[in-house]
Formats: sequence, structure tokens, C-alpha cells
Amino acid sequence: MDVQKPGRMNAVETRESGAIVARARAGDAEAWGELYREFAPAIFRFCRRALPTREDAEDATMEIFMKIRDKLDQYDATRPFTSWLYRVAANHCWDMLRRRKIRQDKETDDLETLPLEHPDPNQLDQLIEKRTSEEVRKALDKLGSRARMALVLRYYSDMSYDEIADSLGVRRAFVGVVLLRARHELRQALEGTGTMAAGAAR
Amino acid sequence: MSSPPNYQSSSHQKGEAQEHLDEMTCMLYLERQLERTRALEVSAHTQGCDSCRILLRAMERESRLLTRAMLEEEEPLPGRIAAFQERVHRSMQWVWMVVFGLSATAVYAMYIAYIEPWEQRLETAGFGGTNLVSLLIFQSAFWKGWQSMISLVEVLALLTAAGIAMAFLRRRIRRGSAVALVLTGFCAAFAVPPPAVATEVRKGQIAEVRKDESIKGNVYLSGEHIEVEGTVDGDVYAAGKDIEIDGHVTGDLISVGRTVWIRGQVDGNVRSVGNAVNVIGKVGKNVSFFGDTTRIDEKGAVDGSVMMFGSDVTIEGRLGRDVLFMGDRVTVHGTVGGSIDEKGAALEIGSTAQIDGPIRFEGENEPAVPSGAKLASPIQFTKHVHKREEVGRTSAFWAGVLVVAFAVYGMMLFLVTPSFARESTHAAENIGASLGLGLLVFFGVLIGSFLAIVTLVGLFVGFSTLFVWIIAVYAAQPVVGALLGQWILGRTNETWPLIGRMILGVFLIRMATLLPHGWVIKLAVVFWGLGAISLALYRRFQPPAPVQVPYVPPPSAPLTPLTPAGGAAAV
Repeated sequence: MDVQKPGRMNAVETRESGAIVARARAGDAEAWGELYREFAPAIFRFCRRALPTREDAEDATMEIFMKIRDKLDQYDATRPFTSWLYRVAANHCWDMLRRRKIRQDKETDDLETLPLEHPDPNQLDQLIEKRTSEEVRKALDKLGSRARMALVLRYYSDMSYDEIADSLGVRRAFVGVVLLRARHELRQALEGTGTMAAGAAR
Repeated sequence: MSSPPNYQSSSHQKGEAQEHLDEMTCMLYLERQLERTRALEVSAHTQGCDSCRILLRAMERESRLLTRAMLEEEEPLPGRIAAFQERVHRSMQWVWMVVFGLSATAVYAMYIAYIEPWEQRLETAGFGGTNLVSLLIFQSAFWKGWQSMISLVEVLALLTAAGIAMAFLRRRIRRGSAVALVLTGFCAAFAVPPPAVATEVRKGQIAEVRKDESIKGNVYLSGEHIEVEGTVDGDVYAAGKDIEIDGHVTGDLISVGRTVWIRGQVDGNVRSVGNAVNVIGKVGKNVSFFGDTTRIDEKGAVDGSVMMFGSDVTIEGRLGRDVLFMGDRVTVHGTVGGSIDEKGAALEIGSTAQIDGPIRFEGENEPAVPSGAKLASPIQFTKHVHKREEVGRTSAFWAGVLVVAFAVYGMMLFLVTPSFARESTHAAENIGASLGLGLLVFFGVLIGSFLAIVTLVGLFVGFSTLFVWIIAVYAAQPVVGALLGQWILGRTNETWPLIGRMILGVFLIRMATLLPHGWVIKLAVVFWGLGAISLALYRRFQPPAPVQVPYVPPPSAPLTPLTPAGGAAAV
């Protein structure tokens, strides 16, 4: 894996962020500004991937930072700051979607019905081979809220299954199901027809 | 916390010659979510199964594609997000300015409702005299129309309404700016005087009211040079380097600037901050000035009093009432109709001076009275004693007693509510917010409880609130003390170390209050601490936000024999 995920920071970055966070917690406005400049782009992108529109993402980013500022004293400094940051962001975005009733009810009740299949690997290989990042982003926009959120939490924020379970409010045992179903949806969106996912999903 | 994954992963197409791994197993294997034995099985299986190897590889590429697609910055950071940090800072400043404004309103309302009626009664009974401070600050119209417009009930009602609107809007639109919006709205409503008076605003290098002009209503003038040569039937608000009043102002002159020249006539008060005020013409009411020098020329006349904090007051002309002065020197060659209260270095009385009221002077040397001067009574001179000398054995003893008393009181509070003590100390780090809120709560709650008691809305409620208020006021010093202690000895979350820091801080605060003008420090500490306590209380009663979920540690991921990449690559 050559691309560093925002959820993972190296030791030096962790130490530096830790120092800035400590200063921000002590009420240092300058440190707070640094923290904002450092993490606002990543959080904006997170929101952009998780929420339906750009305006929503902008609003959410600002609201998340307001929350972060208010709740900074609740952050456990022994843990990575980015993990906590993404947890806050995930909870905020998911709550936002819930309030707007964008989350679809059907998503909650069919988790246990995912059949275990072995799809045609060559077909999947070809599908992945041909797609560009931009096409994937467009396909992501077409997914249901939970599917998209699950993929963002896992493949953008690098969250653990426990954290994803907690953020999405599902049992930990079903995180894999949610993720796999999300992949199926994504493949359907990429294909347009759903032939790839059909073998596995139906 | 974490439990091993319990997916019922299985190989697919049982019964066939070659059993294939299902997609779920592949994904969990790639993401290191399988138990060790199962992962080993998968790894072994992929050695001999092309189909599963390709599937595993394809799914891994799918994961990478997803990550790459999401991480790519295809659009720049929106401007409003980039500017947000600055904006939040500014908007919060506004909020606290508004809070200060409301506090001032509450103080004024308290005066109108309680102090002024008493004062009038006393005056009728013959005890009035010249209560200079209240005369200067309150009795004259600092803002016209306030007295008729504002009553205490109105203020409280509006504050309550503002609070409700804030709470409502915060939930609805979730913007910090809503707070500022509501408060500013209310302040604007406060500030608009009841009669519809036209207001002129003039700006420029030279902002002037020309000789032939007559303006009805208030005028706001700002510029390097400000001249009023015509007539203003209202107040003049001026900000500039040189301010010259040659015409006629029927209301007040409120100014900020280097030098004020009054050659014409101001019927109301002159309230000014700057370098010098020179009265050559006539002022109908009082002059209050924070600055360097005030001079009433021999042709000049002020019918009211002069209150000044600054360097010099020189009276060569006629002053109708009193002088209240804190600064360096008062020089009188003219007439003073009332008393002189001075705390400063020198009082100089010329041979042509006439002073009709008592003279109280606290300073270095007793002033000499020349033979020609007419004084109604001898000068009451108090030799200025430095505060340090005052701290004799007795006062040092009492200071010690107070340190112990506050420390014990603080310790009791910190032990009863350790977490709240920590929250309050933390809130005190936000100095501006704490001071502003403290000021508001100090007066607001006091007025509120008195009102509840007096109007019999609830005797019990009133007294209980007052009781809590007193506890909080006395807790202010331990809270601020704890913060000071933390600044010196470093942060702590433990109760006893925090108490130790609090005692150190309280000791320092009490020592600071022994300095000259220590009461100012004491008052600031009370506002600061009270504000911090209120802020901590406010945060406690905030509805729990979804972010308050405690941190869940990442799962202790089951070990797989191969890394996902290695697993796929080994195939």
C-alpha cells in the first residue's frame, strides 16, 4: 500500500500533533489555528465523500471543528488524535444524514441475508482494471448512505471494524457484511447494470 | 472490548472438485479480520487455487482503488472553510462584546430600579448633598431616553427572551453566529432610543457642522479635525484628533480624541477620553474626562462638576459644583461652587480662588492657602500613606486568616465536587469569556434574586438563588487560584494536587489584593471565577452531543500468518 491513509500517521507526525493538541487544549488560540489548518482539508474531504453535496460537506466541516473545539478536553491524549477526529466527524455526518432521514430503513433489516458466494474473479479483475479514480468517485455518489459511509470509514479514515460498528450503530459482527454489500453496490454502480455483483448479491 | 470476529466464513461450492473461498472470507482475510487458524487455511488454499488467488488479488486492488479515489484532492479547499478559523474567532469576540454590553445594561437597570429612587428619597430628606459619582455617571443622561425606556423587568425579560431564542436557534441552525445574531439584535433594540430622532453621520479629513447649519438629532462625527460651528439639537459623538466646539450643542458631547476645545456652548455633559479638554466657553452640566489635562479658562464656565482621572485639572474660570479627581495636581485660581475631593500629589490654590464647599485632599504635602483665597472651610488634609506601610502586623494577620479561610473553603468545594472543580478551572482558561460571563452573572443573578424576593414571585426561589450566588462568588477565588497554581506548577487531573495548586493560587491572589488598588484585582478575580463556574455549569447542561461517545480502542486484530498484500502476492 503506497498511499498513506489519513487515519494513519507516522510517529513524528503523531508527536507533533500531540504537542499542538496539548497547546490547543490549554487554550492556545494559535495552536487551535494550526490544528485547524492541519486537519481541515482531510476532514473536508471526508465529509465530501460521506455526504451528498459539496455544501453539506462545507457546513459539516465547520460544525465538526466547532464540536472538536468544545470537546477537545474529552480527547484521550494517549490515543491517536486522528482516530478521535474521524470518530467525531463520522458521528457528526451520520447524525446529519439520520436527521435528514437520508438513511434508508431497508438498510437496517437485511444485514443477515447476504449469501456467501464466489464471484467470477476474472470479471471482477477486469472491472477494477478499467476504472479510474474519478469513475469510482462518481459511483460512490450513487451509493446508499450507509454503504458509502462504511467505505469511507474503512478505506479513507482507516477505521477499525469496532470503530465502524460504533459509528454506524451496527453489531461488530455485521461490519464485514456492510462493507461487502457496499462493495457490491459500488460494483453495480461502476458497471451500470450490476452483472458483476449479481452473482454475489442475489 | 474487542471480540474476535465471528463471521461464518466458509468455502463455497462444496461437493465440487475444487472448493472456492467465498468473497466474505477473502475480504476478511485481506483486512486481517480472520482468526489465525482460518487465515492459515486461506493462505494454504490460495497456493493451489487460481480462481481464489485472482479473486483475492482483485479484491485487494479494489480496496486500493477505493482508497486512492477517496484520497485524491480533485477540488481545492473551499474559501469559506479556509477562512472559517478567522471568522469564528471574530464572531466570538462579538459575542463577548455584546455580553459586556448587556452587563452594562444590567448595571444601569439596577441603578435605575434601586439606587436612584433611594437617592432621591434621601435628597428629599435632606441627606442628598453632592454624591458626585452617581451625579456624573448616572443622573445626567449618558444615553438619552434610557431612564424612560428601561426598567429592570424589561431588561430581564429581554435577557430571558434572548436566552430562549439562542437555545432555540442553536438547535435549529447549529451556528455559533446565531448567538451573536440574537444578542446583537437585542442590543440594537436596546440602543435605539424611543423617539424617532434623525441621526447624522459625517466622516472625512475634516468633519464639520458648518456655521449656518442647524441639525436636529444626534450627530456622529469622525475625522482628523472635527468642528462644530453650527447648532446641534442633540448629542455630538466625536472621534478625531482635534475636536472643536464653537457652536451650540444642546445635548452631550461624547468624544474620543487628542484635544477638545469648547469655545461655544454645550448644554449637556462632556464625556471624553483623550489628551486634553479645554473649556473656554460654557458647559451646562458635567465634565468627565479620562486623560491628561482638563482646563477651565478664566472665561470658561462649567455649571456641573468635573470628574477626572488623569494628570492635571486647572480651574481659572467658574465651576458650578464639585471636583472629583484622582491623579497628579489640581490648580484652582477661579471659583468652585462645590467641594473638592482629590487624591493626588498636589493641590495648588491661588490667591484669587474661591471654593464654596469642603476640600478633602489626600496627598504628599499639605497645600498652602494664600491670604486672598476664599475657602468655605479649612482643607481636610490626609497625608498619603503607602499601602505597604499599612500592612502592619494586624492586617498581615487578617490577610493570613483570609488565605486559610479561602483555602479551606476551596478545599471543601474541590473535595465535594472534584470533577466540577476541574471543569471550572478548565473553563477559567478562557479568560475573556469567563470575565464577560462573570460580569453578567454577577449582576444578573443578583438582580434576578432580589426581584424574585421583592416581587414575591418566589421568596424561596429568590433566597435559594442568592445563596447559590454567594457560594459561587466565594468559590471564584479558589477556581482562579487553581488555574494560577496550574500555570505555575503545571496541569493536573488529580484532586489533591489540584487542591495544592489552588492553595498556592489563592495565596498569590490574596497577596495581590494587598497591593495598592488591590480591590480591582479582587473584583476581576470574582468576575473571572464566577464566569468560569457559570461556563462550566452551562457546558454541563448542554445536551449530550453524539461526539461524546467514549473512545473505543481499536481491536486487537487477530494475527494472520501473511500480510494481506503478502497473502495475495504469494499466490
